[in-house]
Amino acid sequence: MATESHPALLLAPNTAGQVPLIRQWWVAFSASTVFVVCGHLLIKAGLNAASEHPAGAGLVPAILHLLLQPAVVGGLSIYLLGTVCWISAVAQKEISFLYPLTSINYVMVVATSLLLFHEVVPPRRIIGVAVIVIGMILMNRNSAKRPA
Amino acid sequence: MNPKMMIWISVALSAVAQILLKHGLTRVQSKSSNGVLGTIFNIATQGFIWLWGFAFVAATGLWLVGLQKLDLSYAYPLVSFGYVLVSVMSLVFFKERVDANRWFAIAVIGLGVVLIAGS
Repeated sequence: MATESHPALLLAPNTAGQVPLIRQWWVAFSASTVFVVCGHLLIKAGLNAASEHPAGAGLVPAILHLLLQPAVVGGLSIYLLGTVCWISAVAQKEISFLYPLTSINYVMVVATSLLLFHEVVPPRRIIGVAVIVIGMILMNRNSAKRPA
Repeated sequence: MNPKMMIWISVALSAVAQILLKHGLTRVQSKSSNGVLGTIFNIATQGFIWLWGFAFVAATGLWLVGLQKLDLSYAYPLVSFGYVLVSVMSLVFFKERVDANRWFAIAVIGLGVVLIAGS
């Protein structure tokens, strides 16, 4: 599926005949972050609302039970949309530049879980996320320094 | 199976899936094909692509069952352990060069994951 044919507003060319917004890497990247984070929040909301499956019932029925939750399906769909936007971003900008930026997803997911689901986030978890962000920046530092 | 184990298996399966996809697509590229339809046919009949599909579905399923019982702020950052696994497997299976700086960065990510796993 070509990203241009997707029925989202930001994918459409504007009236001045300029390139659609999604054809700018930062728009595609930001959209991917928003969709990935929102998708996961919706998935988690669906999982929280779903009844607990009996422990002895087996893994496959448990998975199918969760996949029948509308919020889980909706969340997975939004997540998929985020993946499409990510592919669009990668097509426009070097992956070594974009990869460290995706660590903002971890920060956003932890922050929104705290706010929306009132999860108790111990300091150790916050430090862990900070260390991961540093690691992701380091991971792509050398290739990112190279001139494009 | 306890939820934490499901999350770890899901993360590991996702990493394995990446390797299977890369290997499958490399094999497809090495085959000559007649146009787009030929390429699609080659992708659809490539065994490693199918394995990728199964691994992907299993990883997603385990993720959902595990995540139901865990905090999102706990499980989600553990996904980054996938970078560590993919780097190690790229070295082992594809003989890709992983330089010292990258190993250091991978160790830092690993440390972050350990901190979260113990939180």
